[in-house]
Amino acid sequence: MTTARTWAPVAVRSAARRAARDPGGLAVSAAFYAIVASVLSTLWRTATHSHGGVIAGYTAVQLTWYFYFAEAAVTALNPRQIEITGDDIASGAVAVDMLRPASVVGMRIATEFGRCLPRLGVCTVIGSVLAWLISGAPPRPVALLLAVPALLLAVLCNLAAQHAVAGSAFWVRDARSAWFLYQKLVFLLGAMLIPIEALPLWLHRIAEVLPFVTMAYVPARLAAGHVEPQLLLLQLGWLAVLMVAAVTVFDAGERRLQVVGG
Amino acid sequence: MKAIRATMRAAVTDAWANRSAFWTQLAAMALNDIVWILFWVLFFGKVGTVAGWDRTRVLLLLAMVTTGAGVVLGLLSNARRIGQLLVNGGLDAALALPVRTLPYLLVRRVDAVNLGDVAFGIGLFLVACHPTPERAALYVLGATAGALVLVGFLVLVGSLAFFTGRSEAGDLGFQAVILLASYPVDIFSGATKALLYTAIPAAFVSAVPARLVDHVTVGDLVALIGAAAVFVALAVGTFSIGIRRYTSNSLWTRA
Amino acid sequence: MRDITFSVEPGERVAYIGPNGAGKSTSIKMLTGILHPTSGSATVLGRLPWRERRALTRQIGTLFGQRSQLWFELTPRETFRMLGAIYDIDGPRLRTRVGELGALLDADELFDEPVRSLSLGQRMRCELAACLLHEPSVLFLDEPTIGLDLLAKQRFRELLVRLNGERATTIFLTSHDVSDIEQVAERVIVINHGQVIYDDRVAAMRRELLATKVVEVALSAPVTLAPMQGVIVAAATSSALQLVVDTACRPVRDVLDALLGKADVTDITVTDPPLEQVIAEIYERPRT
Repeated sequence: MTTARTWAPVAVRSAARRAARDPGGLAVSAAFYAIVASVLSTLWRTATHSHGGVIAGYTAVQLTWYFYFAEAAVTALNPRQIEITGDDIASGAVAVDMLRPASVVGMRIATEFGRCLPRLGVCTVIGSVLAWLISGAPPRPVALLLAVPALLLAVLCNLAAQHAVAGSAFWVRDARSAWFLYQKLVFLLGAMLIPIEALPLWLHRIAEVLPFVTMAYVPARLAAGHVEPQLLLLQLGWLAVLMVAAVTVFDAGERRLQVVGG
Repeated sequence: MKAIRATMRAAVTDAWANRSAFWTQLAAMALNDIVWILFWVLFFGKVGTVAGWDRTRVLLLLAMVTTGAGVVLGLLSNARRIGQLLVNGGLDAALALPVRTLPYLLVRRVDAVNLGDVAFGIGLFLVACHPTPERAALYVLGATAGALVLVGFLVLVGSLAFFTGRSEAGDLGFQAVILLASYPVDIFSGATKALLYTAIPAAFVSAVPARLVDHVTVGDLVALIGAAAVFVALAVGTFSIGIRRYTSNSLWTRA
Repeated sequence: MRDITFSVEPGERVAYIGPNGAGKSTSIKMLTGILHPTSGSATVLGRLPWRERRALTRQIGTLFGQRSQLWFELTPRETFRMLGAIYDIDGPRLRTRVGELGALLDADELFDEPVRSLSLGQRMRCELAACLLHEPSVLFLDEPTIGLDLLAKQRFRELLVRLNGERATTIFLTSHDVSDIEQVAERVIVINHGQVIYDDRVAAMRRELLATKVVEVALSAPVTLAPMQGVIVAAATSSALQLVVDTACRPVRDVLDALLGKADVTDITVTDPPLEQVIAEIYERPRT
């Protein structure tokens, strides 16, 4: 096995380049992102009007930046990634990947990450511009700087988790229903629709110990102006766990494939 | 008419034939919609009211949009695919038959997944929206009108592919209108709000019909029916012009 | 498309061929009412296709090899029922018709199986039934045998010829498979660069265009022949020889005499050039 250090950056770069060459697709993703993010931030901003301007500790300005960044972290990913990965496994297409001297899941995650990068970049820029126009400058520019690597880590955590889930397709023929459930968990417990501080206490506690917070909440909270660099450590920790989970699932699955046949 | 009925019957049978997929998809969609209820419950748990909308009103909105959209996306499911059908040549198969093209295309395919939305919407209305006979009648009227607005809008933006050669406008229009119709329209102001009553008629798909159930006003009724008529007419017109253009154009031929 | 002019009589079996990009699909789309030309006219069964699409489609059948009329999860019979409503065929007449087609196409036992469980060859027979339900007088087929195995292709071609024989259905077929042309068509129209470059009987095509024969001999010992006018050595190994003879300037008899006289021949085959070659040569004709 060649080491990840050699092929991973290449996979990421070439996937990113290919994705960047599809301006039509990027434009559509960007338009969709702008609509979703704007709707959610408008909803929460309007909600602060009847609450003395603050909800769950966030002001209207903060909520604006929060949601533009939360949405960017999630819409950068292909929403049907689990389905696609699951289909590839179920159809046996993954066997082609197994012929290469590199980790199957590592390669897939690296490639998918590359594909997400142009989308993430475009959405973050558009989101920042819109947030600035609508609510003014970011509450704490320092925190915003931290939000950028947080976005990257958020995407990686999301990808790793999705691959761990999709890996169930090695055993169960159909991973499709899994992506529905997964997406909703990210929405609710990843704080993409609701800041976790706005959840009832018991749910807040649950969300804190699950990995979903790394996928939208962390970059959003930072963008909202909270200088909490320890959140990045949280992401790194979860990333390691999720990667191990994905690799374990795929290794077991590949072994099963070799025994059972494609 | 007989041809359209027969085609729809065949489409339903086709969707029904793969029984396990039918039920799993239905269940998945219903589950998906339940999560939305969860969201609004959590949201209003914290927020109380927003722009004059409370939890009860928003649940009615949710019931309305899932029913109306479910009918369109489930039974007339090709409405969202007009652009794709154009671009991938699916139109030719319809043109080879002695039927009126648009109605045939619309009923040609049934998507079981979205029928789950219809069941959910009706269920939600019955459970959470104080169903009285008057309200139920208004609900049916509202969902029907909203569905007409939606199908008109989808066919209209899908038909743009006749002129641009690309189906993206249709896809985006579809995502946008459904998304915007799922949120209380009054959180928006000014130009955006006006947009939702005109170019992207999300307000007429959900908010206005929902308002009617709570409180009938002549203004709302006329506006809703008017919007349905306008969008259906625009859809039929644009599609016809588009077809004429398509048949004079060799954009999609492969010799 | 530049200038395509031809007419087809009822009951003819015509192959309409040309290289990719020649304009075949465009022509068929115009004839079936899906496209209309910028200039010129066409009538099919007395109607202008693009102007009278719905009326015309009641009288013609279309079978596109890569597009299915049958609904995947349904049985063919269920699709026929729907098509019956579309073509306005009443119940009893439809039942009779389906029975006839089942017998004609030898597909009766297939009509109640879901389409997804049929093999491609079986499906194509049911597709043929679907496009014949309304008893069209003209049948347009676009690459109908694509993807079929040899036996299925054979069967399908026989069905087309039988259909033409029993019902005088005019057959208008495009195909890249030369055997489709040879076995189904009586007449072939070749187009290229948007123009008709050949239009004649299939038999004449071979005879007139290429007055060549291919002579293949198996040898027990290698031989070198003195060069003869009108004879090209296409291939030569120590045990076999393949010659292409231009019979216009050298009768095959001479070549055979020379071979049998000089070489130790264990086997001889004399054949017409493959039709593919003939057609390829026609494709290469320059624009007029």
